[in-house]
Amino acid sequence: MTKTVLDLVVNGESRSFAVEGHRSLLDALREEAGLTGTKKGCDVGDCGACTVILDGKPINACMILAVEAQGAQITTIEGLQASPDDLHPLQQAFMEHGASQCGFCTPGILIMAKHLLESNPLPTDEEIRFGLSGNICRCTGYTKIFDAIRTAGKRMAETGMALPATKVEA
Amino acid sequence: MRRFEYHAPNSLEEVSGLLTSLGDGAFILAGGTDLLVEIRERLRTVKHLVDIKKVPGLSGITCSAAQGLRFGAMTTAGELAAHPGLAQLYPNLYDALCALASIQVRNRATVIGNICRASPSADTIPPLVADGASIETWHPDGARIIPLAEFFTGPGRSVLRAGEIATAITVPPPQPGSYRAYIKHGRRKAMELATVGVAVSLDTKDGICTAARIALGAVGPVVLRAPQAEALLVGTRLDPKTVTSAAQQAMLECTPISNVRSSADYRREMVGVLTRRAVQQVLEVAA
Amino acid sequence: MTKQDFRIVGKSVKRDDVIEKVTGEGKYTGDYHMPGMLFGKIKRSEIAHAKIKSIDVSKALAYPGVKAVLTHHDVPRVLHYGSPHPRSASCTKDQYILDDRVRFWGEGVAAVAATSEEIADEALDLIEVEYEPLPGVYDIDTAQLPDAPLIHDVGPGGNLVIPPVHVERGDVDKGFAEADLILEGEFAGGRPTPTYMEPNVCVADWDGSNKLTFWTSTQTSFMVRGALAEVLGLPLNKVRVLVDHMGGGFGAKQDLFQHEFLCALLAKKCRRPVKMEFTRRETFVAGRSRHPFKLWLKQGFRKDGTLVAREMKVVFESGAYGSHSPGVTNVGTASATSLYRCDNVRLNGRAVYTNTPIAGAYRGYGVVQTYYALDIQMDEAAEKLGIDPAEMRLRNAVREGDIAPSGHPIIGHGLESCISHGVEAFNWAAKKGAPDRLVAGRPSARKGYGIGCEMHGSSAYPGIKEQGNATVKMNEDGSITLLTGAAGLGTGAHTALAQIVAEELGVTFSSVSVVHGDTDVVPWDIGAFASHTTYMVGTAAKMAAAELRARVLVRAAEKLQEKAENLEMVDGIITVTGKPGTSLTILEAMGPSRGIPAEHLIATGSYMPTKSYSFGAHFVEVEVDTETGIIECKKVMPVHDVGKIIHPIAAQGQVEGGVQQGIGHTLTENYVIDTSNGRSLNAGLVDYKMPLSMDMPDIETVLLEAAPDPGGPWGAKGIGEDPIIAIGPAIANAVYDAIGVRFHHYPITPEDVLNGLRAKQKDGANAGL
Repeated sequence: MTKTVLDLVVNGESRSFAVEGHRSLLDALREEAGLTGTKKGCDVGDCGACTVILDGKPINACMILAVEAQGAQITTIEGLQASPDDLHPLQQAFMEHGASQCGFCTPGILIMAKHLLESNPLPTDEEIRFGLSGNICRCTGYTKIFDAIRTAGKRMAETGMALPATKVEA
Repeated sequence: MRRFEYHAPNSLEEVSGLLTSLGDGAFILAGGTDLLVEIRERLRTVKHLVDIKKVPGLSGITCSAAQGLRFGAMTTAGELAAHPGLAQLYPNLYDALCALASIQVRNRATVIGNICRASPSADTIPPLVADGASIETWHPDGARIIPLAEFFTGPGRSVLRAGEIATAITVPPPQPGSYRAYIKHGRRKAMELATVGVAVSLDTKDGICTAARIALGAVGPVVLRAPQAEALLVGTRLDPKTVTSAAQQAMLECTPISNVRSSADYRREMVGVLTRRAVQQVLEVAA
Repeated sequence: MTKQDFRIVGKSVKRDDVIEKVTGEGKYTGDYHMPGMLFGKIKRSEIAHAKIKSIDVSKALAYPGVKAVLTHHDVPRVLHYGSPHPRSASCTKDQYILDDRVRFWGEGVAAVAATSEEIADEALDLIEVEYEPLPGVYDIDTAQLPDAPLIHDVGPGGNLVIPPVHVERGDVDKGFAEADLILEGEFAGGRPTPTYMEPNVCVADWDGSNKLTFWTSTQTSFMVRGALAEVLGLPLNKVRVLVDHMGGGFGAKQDLFQHEFLCALLAKKCRRPVKMEFTRRETFVAGRSRHPFKLWLKQGFRKDGTLVAREMKVVFESGAYGSHSPGVTNVGTASATSLYRCDNVRLNGRAVYTNTPIAGAYRGYGVVQTYYALDIQMDEAAEKLGIDPAEMRLRNAVREGDIAPSGHPIIGHGLESCISHGVEAFNWAAKKGAPDRLVAGRPSARKGYGIGCEMHGSSAYPGIKEQGNATVKMNEDGSITLLTGAAGLGTGAHTALAQIVAEELGVTFSSVSVVHGDTDVVPWDIGAFASHTTYMVGTAAKMAAAELRARVLVRAAEKLQEKAENLEMVDGIITVTGKPGTSLTILEAMGPSRGIPAEHLIATGSYMPTKSYSFGAHFVEVEVDTETGIIECKKVMPVHDVGKIIHPIAAQGQVEGGVQQGIGHTLTENYVIDTSNGRSLNAGLVDYKMPLSMDMPDIETVLLEAAPDPGGPWGAKGIGEDPIIAIGPAIANAVYDAIGVRFHHYPITPEDVLNGLRAKQKDGANAGL
């Protein structure tokens, strides 16, 4: 099978590795780039555990071939915090609220929540529910996840980490 | 996951040439959100994927009250839903797009991919059929414009020939006094395949229905129109009794099957409920 | 129990393990990637019941990249337990690693190791299997027919997994003779699955000394070690099982799975590490579900609502292998002795084999099924007798001193407290008393209110003679290390254990760290299941901490020239009662001299629990669309008595997650098997419909400390399983309240609702209403 050299910017860092055409971006991130924080919960786009941001949009990393991501800017869970000692408000809030139990869905949900809050830091309950509708959590009943996202959004709005409350389309 | 070769040609000629020369195991990769699932779940044997993202001219959306809607093969569901004016001019399509899988999937899935997959339950097909959309295709032997209602020949099958590529969808501009709605029915509020999907588009003048198009998803081998139900609506003031009898007629015009998602009887019953509700929704907007 | 000011217990301290979960650093089994690692895949049968006539792997072996293929000819033929609970009443020896016969569609018939997952997957197609089909059995009724095809040669006869369980107390016939109202009904339930987010995965690696290191996503690492060692013929110190983070289990990850044996054997054959990871589809096909069931229940009541007799027959569908059926049948059957007190009970429970995927352990373990029936019939009786449903439950609620299903006396009035509290907090009387059930703005919708109750044991005793162990040691800088074998399946149990140690020992929470998940290092543990970790391992940890504290205080007493009983230790500072100003740090008391600690401080607590019960009552509001039949659960108030809350947020999290799964089981989730051929019809996350973010109701959790149990740390009891039990009947009862249609099964589908409404209308018409 032919291999293609893939150049990506992952979490602000230039990465380069050779991949076969059939490999998903998820497998490439986990196995070639060693970024195992992004999880494989179904490999068919149904669970959202592998959510990453690709060129500004949240996608399931299992539903895109690595070669399709040539030249892309990607944010994974490993890139959520600004520095090792500086947790993102979402990470803080998830810990405080008990929004993570087994934690397998957590990276995908945090990435999705980051995307939601950066453009809409004070979402309504409906907007939070809609924003997470492609991310399955089987442990928490979602209640504490909603709480954590509200808390993080308020802090992001206060600290200027998100745009002032402007609404965007789905 | 099975292995396959990946190709990324730069022109429609090359795409068509590859599809023809590589034969049965070659498929077009657009968004990939259905195809990759089928490969992983061994529902389709794929030897070659021909990515069309590098082909120029397949992206772009135009949407206006005067010109109607046109979008290219690379337009994703998410992109189209977020396009200015779409939600106002085509609320039926907008609702269908927002009900399709998840945000993450919509950011990859192309609308034309959803259509070419030719699933009877595809969310985007009923509103487009009800609005009289057409699909543009390219083939070395010549381009075609095919009314979407004539595009499908069965579950997973369409009139596309070997080496023919769907390039764009066009939808006529919404006429003054026309209203449209799409209602998807599933067990959950998201991440659903439609158990039944009903699109209703109505043209009215002075409170009288002048034309009606009802498109029914997931209740036949292809998305169906319900011409007799439509006929019952035309020429009336869409009073509750008429709407109810049209909804009952639509139940008779569909041909659902039973599967793990629902029984045929339930699907048929929902065609009645949803057709009535879709017309009511249209009337509420019109009022 | 004496009143005590708690510094750490009862507070929602930050879970140490969660930092790694929110940063993505936490290692789950699938995250391990080793040099030279091979990938394993399993060839699965495409027939539900057959003899394997021949199996040809030559083409697969010749395929480039394939390193090994195993069939039933190549693996040890050892009959083993599907569930690795050691030689207890809760498992059955009826499985081989690979057999020359398949008993369900999707059972493994061969395994491949190759240099990539893709190659292994492709090689599966090259394995040629010739089957001789056998007649199949795909449902409970057929399995029990006298001439039903037999699925196993072992067992007590017919398709029974174990001899029928029979429980009888009092005089049932006399009870019925005294009854003013007798109700009789049939109940049934589908096949919900746990659907944890992390698909099963393991990695096996053998070293030069023939020792197996085995990473696996399991709740029961010591049981996996035991079963692997037994089947592979190794001493226990030659098998090391490791699990760090795991992505949920909910009970089902306490079986020993076929792929775990095969992964170890492939790695041994290839002398290279091998990883085997389930696809999502495989977690359905080859995973474990709750037992589908059929149940007949007859109860007698006096006019005042008092239950006087209960007779129940339940049959659980085990699927192709026994797995946890013995435990589920025993627990499920015996649970019906209680909840609502009744002196005269006669209960019969069975489990039958069918040619369907294996039912195993799953949160609620047999009790979900039987209490669904008890609680719906309780509602029916309340209506017939004209008693409010909550009042009816209060009159019959199990009380202090009643004999529990385990045979032990109940401690505390937990259930009554939960009901009474919920009636107030939910505003039950006003809601039930509302003049209509209309929903504003939704003319076709009706709302309804329902209640369901539950009780559930912490620990599997007396089914299993359990044992909780914990080792606590002090390092030479005064920091504390807790070693536990309890798995961290996501509940926050390790944090609760660290809180218990810090509280009891008298040190800060941050000075305690937890080591877990390595069978070579931590004390033996039976596994994380049966809602027992906080209760049982918590008590063991408390015992170890108490011993350590005593030894620290003896040292400190010497240094301070005081009596040890006059000393107190708080946050690692030792003070003398009544002598302010005199103090020692823990390090000063125990500190090293020239790097050598004064004493090697290590203590192990070992605790064999008896039994305690947690209680709960769930209050729900539903809306039913009478045109589409869709039921929406709008509000849930779960009220639970847990004796003592160690970590409020983690305890609430258990409740809310249990409610989510229970809503799913009752309304949308059902893993469907084609009863004509045994094939799976919805082995995926789109068609197996779990409630997601937009479907979940508002949940207002209430935790009570009404009935502390002397067997748990400061009275704490389990909470893991309880919340999944009462929600189901509460929803079914609320649906009745909304539309007047009774359902005796789950899931209640939209189509069921419409058919029920039609039948009701027809009955009404027939009755001339």
